[in-house]
Amino acid sequence: MGSLVGVDVGGTFTDLAFSPDGVRIDSILKVPTTPDDPSRGVLDALRAARVDPAALDAILHGTTIATNAVIERTGARCALITTRGFRDVIELGRRDRLNLYGLSGVQQPLVERDDRWEVEERVDYRGEVLVPLDEDAVRALARHLHDSGIGVVVVSLLHSYANPAHEDRIREILLEVSPGWHVVTSSSVVTEYYEFERTSTAIVQGYLEPLVSRYADALTGKLADQGFGQQVLVMQSNGGVVPIDRLGSRAARIIRSGPAAGVIAAARLAAEVGFDKIITGDMGGTSFDVAVVVDGEPGVSETTQLDFRVPLRIPMIDVHTIGAGGGSIASVDRGGVLQVGPRSAGSDPGPVCFRRGGTEPTVTDANVVLGRINAGSPIGDDTGRPLDVEGARAALAALGKELGLGVEATAEAILAVVNTRMAGRMRLISVEQGHDPRMFALVAFGGAGPLHGSALLREVGLKTMLVPGHPGVLCAMGCIVADLCYDYSQTVERRVDQLVPGELAGLFAAQRRRGEAQLSADRVAHTRTEALHHADMAYLGQVHRLRVRVEPHWDAEELNKAFLTAYGKEFGTLLGDVPVLIVNARTSVRGVRRQAPEGGDVPVDRPVGRPVATRPVVFAGDWHDTPVYARADLLPGMRFDGPAIVEQADTTTVVEPDMSVWIDGRSNMQIEVRS
Amino acid sequence: MIDAITVAVVKGALESICDEMDKHLIHAALSPIISETNDCAHGIYHPTTGETIAQGRFGLPVFMANMQFTVQTVIERARECGGFRPGDMWILNDPYVGGTHLNDVNLVTPVFVGDELLAVMANTGHLMDIGGGIPGGWIPGAVEIHEEGLLIPPVRLYDRGERNDAVLNLIIGNVRLPDMIYGDLMAMSGALKVGEERFRAVIARYGTNVIQACQDDMIERAERQMRSYIAEIPDGVYSATDHLDNDGIIDESREFRVEMTVSGDSMHLDFTGTSPACKGPINLSRNTSISSAYVALKHIFPDVPVNGGTFRPVTFTIPDGTVISAQYPSPVSGYLEVVGRVLDLVFGALVKAIPDRVPAPSFGTTGVVTVAGHHPHRNDYYVGVFPYPGGYGGTAQTDGQVHGTTPQSMANFMSLEVSEHRYPLRFDHFAMRDDSSGAGEHRGGVGTTYGFTAWSELTTSVLGDRVDHVPFGVNGGGDAAPNEVRFRTDGKEWVPPLRSKYQKLTLRPGDSVMVSSPGGAGFGDPLNRPVELVERDLNLGVISRSTAERTYAVVVAEETEAAGRSRFVLDRDATDAERERRRTNRTPGE
Repeated sequence: MGSLVGVDVGGTFTDLAFSPDGVRIDSILKVPTTPDDPSRGVLDALRAARVDPAALDAILHGTTIATNAVIERTGARCALITTRGFRDVIELGRRDRLNLYGLSGVQQPLVERDDRWEVEERVDYRGEVLVPLDEDAVRALARHLHDSGIGVVVVSLLHSYANPAHEDRIREILLEVSPGWHVVTSSSVVTEYYEFERTSTAIVQGYLEPLVSRYADALTGKLADQGFGQQVLVMQSNGGVVPIDRLGSRAARIIRSGPAAGVIAAARLAAEVGFDKIITGDMGGTSFDVAVVVDGEPGVSETTQLDFRVPLRIPMIDVHTIGAGGGSIASVDRGGVLQVGPRSAGSDPGPVCFRRGGTEPTVTDANVVLGRINAGSPIGDDTGRPLDVEGARAALAALGKELGLGVEATAEAILAVVNTRMAGRMRLISVEQGHDPRMFALVAFGGAGPLHGSALLREVGLKTMLVPGHPGVLCAMGCIVADLCYDYSQTVERRVDQLVPGELAGLFAAQRRRGEAQLSADRVAHTRTEALHHADMAYLGQVHRLRVRVEPHWDAEELNKAFLTAYGKEFGTLLGDVPVLIVNARTSVRGVRRQAPEGGDVPVDRPVGRPVATRPVVFAGDWHDTPVYARADLLPGMRFDGPAIVEQADTTTVVEPDMSVWIDGRSNMQIEVRS
Repeated sequence: MIDAITVAVVKGALESICDEMDKHLIHAALSPIISETNDCAHGIYHPTTGETIAQGRFGLPVFMANMQFTVQTVIERARECGGFRPGDMWILNDPYVGGTHLNDVNLVTPVFVGDELLAVMANTGHLMDIGGGIPGGWIPGAVEIHEEGLLIPPVRLYDRGERNDAVLNLIIGNVRLPDMIYGDLMAMSGALKVGEERFRAVIARYGTNVIQACQDDMIERAERQMRSYIAEIPDGVYSATDHLDNDGIIDESREFRVEMTVSGDSMHLDFTGTSPACKGPINLSRNTSISSAYVALKHIFPDVPVNGGTFRPVTFTIPDGTVISAQYPSPVSGYLEVVGRVLDLVFGALVKAIPDRVPAPSFGTTGVVTVAGHHPHRNDYYVGVFPYPGGYGGTAQTDGQVHGTTPQSMANFMSLEVSEHRYPLRFDHFAMRDDSSGAGEHRGGVGTTYGFTAWSELTTSVLGDRVDHVPFGVNGGGDAAPNEVRFRTDGKEWVPPLRSKYQKLTLRPGDSVMVSSPGGAGFGDPLNRPVELVERDLNLGVISRSTAERTYAVVVAEETEAAGRSRFVLDRDATDAERERRRTNRTPGE
């Protein structure tokens, strides 16, 4: 593999990582994101890194363009065509409300009711046609829509996952009437039951398709102008990449791909140094993202809520987010209890110490006042001005007055509260997935992750924290190491003991063939092809399903056994003689791109060099003269004890007094509580 | 006085323990009603007063204050029996001293450090069966509690760490799904044990004195917080009246009354004047009535924690023998319908005091449509439950949401496609119910209308309300459309005699059920609704032209038709003039 660049466009910064060989990272940097045209930021980053696009073998790219378009409602106006009687399914959802408490929830459907249309047709749950499609009515509707200036039509009929014929026929008729339309059928996006979720997913695809296609064209054009003629691969939410020329048709699948990329990179790094169970903790300016990875496989969620009643039913790396970041605002509630977040000062106005007009104290202000962040060389600030420590102190003093605390005590209280919240989320995500959190290692990244990781280690009772070499740009690195990946699913909804022999094997084989055909059409170099098969299974009558790893040739007995093993592991009990159901068959086809990096043996011990500085930092109520190390000076095999601060361009790592650090063979810092 | 940092951190830790217990049980429970609709709750309670210290965020609102009453009952009972001992765990489901209905079973356990009782932990879980006349525990024809199942008074399920198998066997010998109930009880005790272990770790870290001080402090701070909200409500007496159509047995309505007195930072709710208990099972125990009132307040002040201090500033008068103070042997299995009335009473009274913060009533019926039978293709027995969906009320800021879950629950409506896989029926439509919301400056969300047709014989039952007494508009807003249930059997359409309640109707292939739920009530004078929003409502089809003209007093400039739909353009000036004319002609007080 030749030289590669990973570029991840985030909300605030566009991160870049350059690798001369697809394995080693030579340089990293951050430039401001350019929201009006994010492709400009990508070019800025390449220029700033002095990378010659013409000399690159590939560009790997993560982007928030799709995520933002849904949140900001800037996608295309779509028409929706449904089975007669069901056009409102998309607005009604599944009977819920926005918040557990509070009864006002404002909803903004992606397709309003007057753009939702119905046609006569009906298919039953086995795919049999009960009412034939009224093609004349479809044609008449198509003409009407054509005259009304609609550019995207989404078609979602009941049970189309079992028989897509009517959806396909409607597509043909629509394109006859208006060949320029973007037409999205629900069965082309999701072949599973759950009409609301499938329709919503199809709408998200239609809503984003024009915008994402335009973006792909713009970026490709700009890079071509710079002499880049190789492939651009774009990160998807399942952790795999896809060639940019296919991006429009995959528009719904690149939502929240940045956090997924971070998890992929963290999983790789941890596996390379022997950790098979990790929790990733990505803390940035506004949020804390947590994910669980077991045996190299990140947890996958089948449905993600993009907004109130906008579910996306696409396999995504399961990343949980809470509003806890450097910009999270500290305040005192009516009972006199300190709260941190979820309100955030974001990047504008940002923390008080950023001097951009922020007045409320934030987590970053607390870190600055306690000496944890170097006020002299702030991250991601290009003004060259030092942080406003006095401003931060004043804001904390004002808050402290309400609590009866001094400045430092207030700052420590803010960290204690935000750390408790993050630790609580880490415990919950592991408990939710049936794990004991104490068996996991934490991979801390993002601009603020390593600042708080030691405290989280202590709070959750984990043994080890891994801080990667470039924690601030891990998502960009995740793009570099990601494989090509295509997911397929099909609803089966049958009792395992009533499956026809060979039926499932045939289904899995067909899914695998589709994936392999897709991979060879991609023409992206990869070393081998892998297919992973899963079955969503449940006891008869349950709604909750378990994703069970299966082999295609397994018979009913083997499938049953695999389900019971997985169920027992997750829930601790079995239900006895209740029949077992297979709900969906899933195949994930991967084109493995990465070469295993060399090195990584256990390094020989070597002495740590001198710290670059010493500065006072508060730990547990007292100022400690704390050595400050430059990350670049830390080489494999070095060990040292906390308290310590480790500084690098993209983050600061805090090592608490009772912890020790070891630099492993891949240059990760491994931090543990001293026994 | 404990320092502010420690309180904040310990509070976070204790709340997180409760969340984890919720998740443990939701995960480990066999009962789909726990694992899929989170019908459970977990909390930590004060060792002597039984007041709530913290409760998990994933359980259902309906259990909010009930858990505290249950714990207080057990503390009392334990005192009579020689007190708590380490390793004890009590069980009960007595609705008259605990809460809700017999299917909700509670476990209560003391947490000791050495000899010292530091806290009480408790949970509740909805078991799929508890014996009684009909599987599942909803007995529409019951006239006394014993028909509804096994009543468990407070007894020890674990005695100093030893499981009391006599009690356990007695329980599982009286239920229809013994394996599942056994598994769920063990899952519930397991969740409490996990919580206790985590709680002990917190105690070990901070010390018993700090934990005790923090628990007291959390209650005081929550009280301060709640009082600060009540203090913002203008002093005064606010009242509301509402009705239940009938109890499912006798066609006679039940009246509900509340008089809310706000004085300084305290609130008193007096339910005097509320009708006597129903003969049938549509009754509420006193504790659940009080808990429901707190649920309403929490919806209005969502920032206040679920904590005993939050409950302190509100006091109650609920006379004995009413429909909301059910006493032995009144049946209670239809309690959820009554919970809805208590919520709407509190909203209805409070909206008069602080209209800016309180929504108009929501669709208000908590009922269900159930289907049951043998599936002809799979040859298995199924029970399907479709909970009532409907619109939420308008607020001072916004229109109401559509297709909400009831305020005391979070249960979803099952996917239509999944339902068609599991039950021998086909949905004919599933849609927003046009013209069903209460009119207003901010209108309610419309109700939901759906219908299904059986293609193989099945049995269906319907429990609803709000046909005769609809969600009422507030602040000048209009009422929502009534609930509507229709059956079609042998090609004939009919309405059940009790309008929205019917037990065990056999549907043959081709027979149908049609349900149209109320929308939310309206908030504010419809004449103040901006013309462009009325125009939009018309073009979205959520209100009819006649409603627009009659209720919103708009003047249509143009109605055109395309692709089978009308599009409207309103005449702004003529509408303004018409509205002005209506305002002048209004009789005072209208």
